[in-house]
Amino acid sequence: MDLPAGTRNYSYAQDMAIFRTKTHWALFIGLMVLLFTAPLYWSNYWLGVANLIGITIIAATGLNILTGYCGQLSIGHAGFIAVGAYASAALTGRLGLPFPLGLVSAGLVAGLVGMVFGIPSLRVKGFYLAISTIAAQFIIIWVINHWTSVTGGFVGLSVPYASIGGLTFDTEGKQFYLIMGITALTIYFAKNLARTRVGRAFVAIRDNDLAAEVMGINLFRYKLIAFFIGCFLAGIAGSLLAHWMWFLSAEFFSLAESILYVGMIIIGGIGTTLGPIFGAVFIRLLDQVLTQWVTPFLEGTFTMLPAGFATGITPMVFGLVIILFLILEPRGLAHRWQLFKAAYRLWPFSY
Amino acid sequence: MAELLQFVITGITVGMVYALIALGFVLVWKSSGVANLALGQMVLLSSWFTYGMLVQAGLPLWLGFVLVLIFALALGWVVERFVLRPLIAQPILSLITVTLGLAYFIQGLVVFIWPWSVDALPRLFPTEPVHVGPAVVPQQYLWAAGISLALFALLSLFFRYHKMGIAMRATADDQMAVQASGIPVTRIFSRSWMFAAVLAAIGGVLMSSIGGITFGLVDTGLKAFSVVILGGLDSFLGAIIAGPIIGLAENLGGGYLTPLTWPGVREVIPFIIIIIVMFIRPYGLFGEERIERI
Repeated sequence: MDLPAGTRNYSYAQDMAIFRTKTHWALFIGLMVLLFTAPLYWSNYWLGVANLIGITIIAATGLNILTGYCGQLSIGHAGFIAVGAYASAALTGRLGLPFPLGLVSAGLVAGLVGMVFGIPSLRVKGFYLAISTIAAQFIIIWVINHWTSVTGGFVGLSVPYASIGGLTFDTEGKQFYLIMGITALTIYFAKNLARTRVGRAFVAIRDNDLAAEVMGINLFRYKLIAFFIGCFLAGIAGSLLAHWMWFLSAEFFSLAESILYVGMIIIGGIGTTLGPIFGAVFIRLLDQVLTQWVTPFLEGTFTMLPAGFATGITPMVFGLVIILFLILEPRGLAHRWQLFKAAYRLWPFSY
Repeated sequence: MAELLQFVITGITVGMVYALIALGFVLVWKSSGVANLALGQMVLLSSWFTYGMLVQAGLPLWLGFVLVLIFALALGWVVERFVLRPLIAQPILSLITVTLGLAYFIQGLVVFIWPWSVDALPRLFPTEPVHVGPAVVPQQYLWAAGISLALFALLSLFFRYHKMGIAMRATADDQMAVQASGIPVTRIFSRSWMFAAVLAAIGGVLMSSIGGITFGLVDTGLKAFSVVILGGLDSFLGAIIAGPIIGLAENLGGGYLTPLTWPGVREVIPFIIIIIVMFIRPYGLFGEERIERI
């Protein structure tokens, strides 16, 4: 942990503090004020984008715990998000349970499904595990498409508004508070998880699972815990997504979306708390720019080309960004941010 | 009975094409330890390129196919040189993810150039159905299987007798030893990617001559993954045997399980097989179980 010049830690409490100096606190409170007054002056469109980013951060944080900290690559994350989304939609919409209960059960159901598909991780890793999570993705989507009595199948499923007590979250602004609140809690949880016994066990497993086992870490238990936590957060994100969109269809949870989540944590910086935040913001904003401005512009400019050609731009750019980040900056935006902070603290005497 | 025979024949023949595509995967995995998750997209891109040559440019069949082969070789070379080469000796996580990025890119490229996303190749094989006992089998299937078999034979001869083939097998066996004896390992990587791209292209042409060019070809690549998982990642023989098994399971399951479960069960059978193999025998039928030391 690099500190500003002249700041020293004299106690463990200081060493463990997330916000160490008064400036940290001031910046944090400033950010919170800025964030939670945003619905007052942001347009509905940008609030919607922010809500999607918040939900994405929750899911990406889950994937980061599973893949970034514990090293178990999952290419089926969108499938687990779908489990949470449909669980929450079915519980609140069809059984009439209150939203908070639906939210938590969505997380639990997704976590349990994730654990089942995580069982092979005890015996296999790397590519084998990646393939079995792809298989999980396809099996989950197939079940969703055909288990019509619960999920609505291909027709889709409309979802009631989220409500806690008498408060109904029926506008983007109200949902913003709900989603950002849970996102903040998730980030706080992830930050702290990384420095507990469990988090350190995850890192040990990622770096060398055999050595970790020799050191007395129960591999099976911790890998399943990682799958549970990762997919629990995916489920929470899914539930929020369902109540945010008010409508569900399996198309929202394609393999491409799963790959995008892996791309997000790579771009953001794998195995850091900041990574998923940077990655989610970067990818979702890039998506907005590409689909809202670049694609219509290209379609309008090059009318002699066959219709719809510009829809290929978005996946091309995403793929290119993932490849370039892996080659040029494998530690992601979070690492760049660290470098920037270090340079900023020492400026103008960088020696 | 006729129905059963028909399922068996189509299953085995389609399975052979899967095996062909899977061989490309095994080749790359064995020589360079990279899991190529962009396989399905490479199949898709080559099929569309064939379409572009034969239909859009209106070239004669033989010239079109020569160009497709050249294109596939170039594709494999470019992918290895510019995407995988900078990542040599990176963790497996990066190697898998980079092919995912590649998959995303190629899929976008296909939509970019051919946005209408469904089309058919011109007729490559005679279409009159063939009667095998009581079953009626479309002739394309038999052609596809025949071509795949011929390619298996060619490939095994290549790996047995050709200098490059022997070098490739040696690289798969022990990279350090190969380097020490003066074989340029990066060139082997490059060649194995070019081979994989050619196999993907041939598999793609065969598949799309049967079912047309759709995004379903990407699923063909995914089925090839279930072939390699079942056969064992590092086994050529495993891929050749597991291919027809997957094809059979898919067709028989699709034929007989659909009334019992939900429709579309055919599409997930390869994935269910993956999960079952993972639980029972994670290294596949013929795969080598790696013993790790610290």
